Amino acid sequence: MESFSFKYPAGKKIRQRAHIGVVGSGDLEILLEPGNEMYTVFNIRTAADGFQEIWKAVFERFVALNAIAAIVTINDFGATPGVVGLRLAQVLEIANQEQS
Amino acid sequence: MMQTSFIELKARERAIALLDQHSCREILDPFNRIESPHLAPQGIVPESDDGMVIAKGLFKGQEAVILSIEGAFQGGGIGEVCGSKIAGALERILEDNRKGKRVIPIIIFDTGGVRLQEANYGLLIISEIQSAIVALRDFVPVIGLIPGNVGSFGGMSITAALCSELIMTEAARFGLNGPEVIEQEAGIQEFNSRDRRLIWDTIGGKARFETGLVDQLIADDVTAFKQAIQSAISRKSTVPRTQQVDRFLCAINQLNPKVKSTREKIINFLSQPSAVTPRIEDAKTASRGRTWFAALTANEPSISGFPGVLVADVVFNRQPARFIAVVPNAANRYPRAVHGEVGLQEGWVLAKYIRQAIEEDANQPVKRNIVAVIDVPSQAYGYNEELMGIHYACAASVDAYATARLKGHAVVGVIVGNAISGAFLAHGLQSSRLIALNDSKINVQAMSKESAARITKRSLAALEEATKKVPAMAYDINNFYTLGALDVLIDDVNADVPDADAISRVARELTKAIADQDFTLGQRLKTEPALKGRASSILVREKIAEQWD
Repeated sequence: MESFSFKYPAGKKIRQRAHIGVVGSGDLEILLEPGNEMYTVFNIRTAADGFQEIWKAVFERFVALNAIAAIVTINDFGATPGVVGLRLAQVLEIANQEQS
Repeated sequence: MMQTSFIELKARERAIALLDQHSCREILDPFNRIESPHLAPQGIVPESDDGMVIAKGLFKGQEAVILSIEGAFQGGGIGEVCGSKIAGALERILEDNRKGKRVIPIIIFDTGGVRLQEANYGLLIISEIQSAIVALRDFVPVIGLIPGNVGSFGGMSITAALCSELIMTEAARFGLNGPEVIEQEAGIQEFNSRDRRLIWDTIGGKARFETGLVDQLIADDVTAFKQAIQSAISRKSTVPRTQQVDRFLCAINQLNPKVKSTREKIINFLSQPSAVTPRIEDAKTASRGRTWFAALTANEPSISGFPGVLVADVVFNRQPARFIAVVPNAANRYPRAVHGEVGLQEGWVLAKYIRQAIEEDANQPVKRNIVAVIDVPSQAYGYNEELMGIHYACAASVDAYATARLKGHAVVGVIVGNAISGAFLAHGLQSSRLIALNDSKINVQAMSKESAARITKRSLAALEEATKKVPAMAYDINNFYTLGALDVLIDDVNADVPDADAISRVARELTKAIADQDFTLGQRLKTEPALKGRASSILVREKIAEQWD
């Protein structure tokens, strides 16, 4: 298991916190919470060691499109970059949904 | 009509799908971040809800709580946090029902049983879950779903067997010992874990339904699940399977353990009330359980007709007490249970003699104390055992011990030998007080090292390494003591050949344990070691209480 963090300047607000996914084979869990500072902060724990550069690339791409002021907590159980990108898009969609 | 798969949903989605729209409120949701503290030190990524969803809401207008286990996270294994979420929630539901507020518990089983990375926590907490279910059944139906993916195994198959109503699909499996574990423990000739046809014919949903070990077999469809739950709620309550002692003992007597039985035969055995009683030789095989049973009862002869379970009524410290031990018998009919394992017959015979004491004392002002002398090497691993439902045999005993407590019998256990896995759940873990000899040969664990290494895909060396970081994974009695479930460890006793002084010291500790006249399992969380050793269990219960109403 490896743990690491990344931080990017950002300013867009999100509506509410959101959660998606499970820590199951090839999947991951994301907790997305509004941040008080003008950054997107990613805190990751992953079962697959040695892929920091790939995580960085996925996050840079995400932040370039969605500069949200938020804390993103990720518990990963070997998700591929494609799955990570998909889950990030999903959790952001939930966070910006109007509450019923 | 369109079907919506229930199996494909994750634990949280399953709970939401069953509850009335917009009625679901989650207790201890992921943002509370109460995760297992035992996984990260072993290099395993935790989950923010520890793979367990507590969802309060309405089911067709009635108050209900859904306890949904996430099978995709660590195989749905029961660790300290997720297990305490189930136990803690069930205890609140019991409290509500006792106060006259009807709340229906629905448990979604998707679990391999004890989470081997938190081994003895799993065992302890599963016994607490079981205790709550037995108490709850007097108020409301406890409904269990086994939809499939993982199915329900190990200690949690014993738990499922205690439910008032079980609902399954054809895609689920339900048994005590998983195929790989039976193969590891008993050999490939006993059970070939790669023979899929054999597996489904033995423990698959269809097989279980036809044998009568589950109540409803339904399609994998959300609407079908809702209908099945509704019919379970509105059904008139019947005698739980785990209380049908005579029926199951008759069937077990008819089965020929020397050959592999068939489903058709089992169905036949269970439907024929008249039965042969085969003669069972008594080899009187030596064991610690036998030694201590004799020592503590002053050689009182056993009244049980079955040589593998010793039962004696004695006056112990001026009070009536029934002592019970499971002992090895080299001449046992069932070859997978000759070393003192809790097998089919042992489980049901335990239930028979505990229930006998409850019934005989029903109108007595003083209920006799029940003392379990614990020396059990494991549950029996075998094909016939799974086919006949050994999880029900263990559950029958659990049910009887828990019921005895509810009826006002003090139940205490003394660990003199091994206390292992399903056997310990069936014989020992329903005690409100446990004492143990401080002896280096005593093992307390959920699964042998060889099997645990195979299931968690680790080497034996890696497993040994992990036990150093997590006391609950260790196998010795001193580490078990740090988890808080023992009242006392008794030093300087020759456990194999005890002298008069040792016997009187053990008897004195037993007397103290009985004197507390405690009828719950609550003490385990109040001992000095528990404050540290069960810190997460205590925290989870506190948080549930805060968020409950």
